[in-house]
This record gives sequence, structure tokens and C-alpha cells, in this order.
Amino acid sequence: MQDRPTAPELLDAMAADLYSEVREWVPRERRFRVLVLANLCAVIARELRAGEEPSRQDLELFTALSGSPADDAREAAATLAAAIRRGELDERLPEAIGRLREHVARKLEVARPGYAVSAGDG
Amino acid sequence: MGSIVTPPAEDALCAGVRELIAEGTGSDPGALRLSTIPGGASRETFLAESDRGRWVLRRDPVGAQDSFAPLETEFRVVQTAAAAGVPVARGLAFEPARGRLESAGFVMDHVEGTSVAPRVLRREELESARSALPAQLGEALARIHSIDARAIDGVATSGGDPALAACGLWEATIDEIGEPLPAVEVGLRWLRLNPRPPPPRECLVHGDFRLGNLIVDESGLAAVIDWELCHSGDPAEDIGWVCVRSWRFGNDDLPVAGVGALDELLAAYEAAGGEPPSMERIRWWEAMGNVKWAVICARQAHDHLTGSRPSAELASLGRRISEPEWDLLELLPAASCASRPGAPGSEQGRRA
Repeated sequence: MQDRPTAPELLDAMAADLYSEVREWVPRERRFRVLVLANLCAVIARELRAGEEPSRQDLELFTALSGSPADDAREAAATLAAAIRRGELDERLPEAIGRLREHVARKLEVARPGYAVSAGDG
Repeated sequence: MGSIVTPPAEDALCAGVRELIAEGTGSDPGALRLSTIPGGASRETFLAESDRGRWVLRRDPVGAQDSFAPLETEFRVVQTAAAAGVPVARGLAFEPARGRLESAGFVMDHVEGTSVAPRVLRREELESARSALPAQLGEALARIHSIDARAIDGVATSGGDPALAACGLWEATIDEIGEPLPAVEVGLRWLRLNPRPPPPRECLVHGDFRLGNLIVDESGLAAVIDWELCHSGDPAEDIGWVCVRSWRFGNDDLPVAGVGALDELLAAYEAAGGEPPSMERIRWWEAMGNVKWAVICARQAHDHLTGSRPSAELASLGRRISEPEWDLLELLPAASCASRPGAPGSEQGRRA
């Protein structure tokens, strides 16, 4: 066990510092780089807080869709991707699209909370 | 401003650029200072300045592999587009590889303005530019699409079926990267099973038409730049691409590049002699645009991971794949019917 702050708490502190003060020290045309780094700290903090649960849910979803067992989510994603490419899910494509929205929404909760809504124009 | 080029290379390059500007304009620009302009994906761009003016050099990175449209083709396309009435940065002179610029390159006029999308969308002094842009983009696209790409040497062809060519291109790119992307695959599969038939007429497609590749000044569109992804294809590809949500930079209710409504773009497109594609076709290409952006994000992250271009910024794009994936899957049911009730653009949906 490490002392506090925890890893996500440290990342929160880094992100806050980068967003506010460090950004001001950097020449205007390079501030975008600082925002990228601050945003990455925030992404990692959210990923650590979410723990293993999203990957476990993806593993379950991918193996259910492809019908092939796998040891981890990455392997299951590769198997599913290849099965889709070969046309093996063509009969159930609307179902696969709907289920994979769940997977993408889970990634967005870590990478970009608030993005998983419909855009205005349709 | 970017970094100054290192001295020995700078001397030779400066001299080469100076000669080319003199040949292209008929007058010596004097001693030049070169600085890199950041942002180019695979080609290098430099600002060349002297007390007599400013120009831009675009060239292949030294030792780079062939990209989509060879630089000489890009130079010819820019000249053809200028003749068709597209606002561009006028090309002045081309120099082949192993010549005065080391790699292949060309010099062009410098156009004042910005191509930084968030600035275009937020700056106060660009407010009237923003209201002019949707129609200006429609007009520029109509002029680009009036060009028969087959008449320009070296422009990539679609093989007769742009929709299936795009499916094949992005499937092959995913295979090269080797990352499993099941959400992209399911979108691509849907697009493959519901393809748009080839367009009535293939034309020149810019291939990366969005604010980042347009120079905007206070009166609006000043120049269409970065033609390296141009090819022969379906005109709806450019229209769908400029509507991709990632290019709205948060202005989600303004589908055209975050500045306006699709109806406005299409009305100007038609007024400038273009034949607006059906909404169904535009939505198909917007969905394909999201496939393209998702795969490009994956490839940029891969370039970081393999060490070929180490960069936290490229690495961060790996975690943005999910954004176009979401938009792709959202668009699929919309692409299967002509339009959604009440959605802007639904009037065009009743056409063709």
C-alpha cells in the first residue's frame, strides 16, 4: 500500500496544475500540447477509478456476440472483429451494432464523458 | 511560429526556394528566412519570408515513401482548381526530387488567415466569416466537383466504385495496423452491405475538406489547402466528411464544420452549378468519414507505439477512436432511411 494521495488523486492534481498554471507559462501556439497532456492525466485517472469492470463487461459482450470463448477482452475483440469481417454476423447485424454501442459508450465514459449522446443534426 | 531549420540544410534549401520563387514570379525575393509551419500530416510546410514578401514551401519529407497523390500531382491539381474558380494558394513553381529542394516540392503564394479550427469557431473578429462560410464552402465544393479528375495526370482513381473502394481501403489499413476495432468493423460491414451505387459522374474529390485545411480570414474562405488526399470519386464524400462531428469542435448542432446548416451548403452548391447528392448518399459518406477518422486515429497512435513517430499527442489519438466510433454507429440507422423527421437537411432528403 502506498501513502495517499492515491494514483488517481495524483493524476487529478497533475491535470489541475497543467490546465491552469502550466498552460499560462507556455507560448500561446503551443498550449494545445499542454491541454493534450492534462487531458491524458484525466483519462488515466478515470480509467484507474473504473478498474477492471469495463474490460470484464467487454469480454462478456464480445464472446457472447462471436460465440467463441477468449481469455481476455483484447483477444475476444480480435476474434469478433474477424468474424464480423467474414460476414458471420450478417444475419444479426442490427443486434451487433446495438451491443457494440454499449462497448463504445463504456470507452467514452473513460476517454470523453458526455460524448455519448446524439449529435444535433442526425 | 515553428522552429528554424538547421543551418547547413537551411542554406541550400533557402537558395533553392529563392530561385524557384524568382522563376515563378519573375522577380528575386531576396534573402529568405525559413520556418516550419506545424500541422502537416505527411508533408512538410515552411513559411519563407523576406522583406519583399511571404511565400510557402510544401515538400515531401526527405526519404519519405510515396503518399496518396504525388506532390507533382498535388501541384497540378491546385492549378486546375484555381482555373475552375476554387480559392487556393496559387502554385508558383514545382521542383522534382533530387533537385534544388532535395525532395520533391513546390512554392506557392502565402495566404493570410488561420486554419486553426477552434480559432475560426470562437474568435470574435471572425463572426461574419462564420456566417459566410457554409455557403462559401458549398460554392467551393461545387467548383472542385466540376473538375474531371481523370483529366489530371496522377490522380488516384476509384476503380469505378468509390463506395466499395473506400470499404476496401479502410479494411486494408486496419489490417496493416493490427489493432482489433470491432465497432469500426461492424460499421464497415453495414456500409459494405448497404453500399451507395457509383455516382452518376465521378469527379475530383478534395479528400480532407474541413476547417483545418481551409484558410479563413475576416471575409470567410480565403483558400482551400492540403490537397494531398485528393482522388477521383463520389462528390458526396467531401460533403459527408465536412459534416463529421469531430470537425464541429463542440458546435454539435451546426453540422457543416461547426459553422452552419447543411441546407445552406447544399443551396450554394446547387447555385454554383453542383448537383446536390441525396441525403442518403451524404449520410453514407458521413458514416464512412467516421470510419476513416477512427482508423486514422488508430494509425497515428500506432505510429507512436512502433516508435516511428514518438509523440504524446499521437498517442492520445488512440483514446479518441471511440468518438468517431460512436458517431458511426449512431449514423447507421439514419443512413438506411432518407432522413429523420425534423432534422435539418430533411428537405434535401426528399430529392433523388
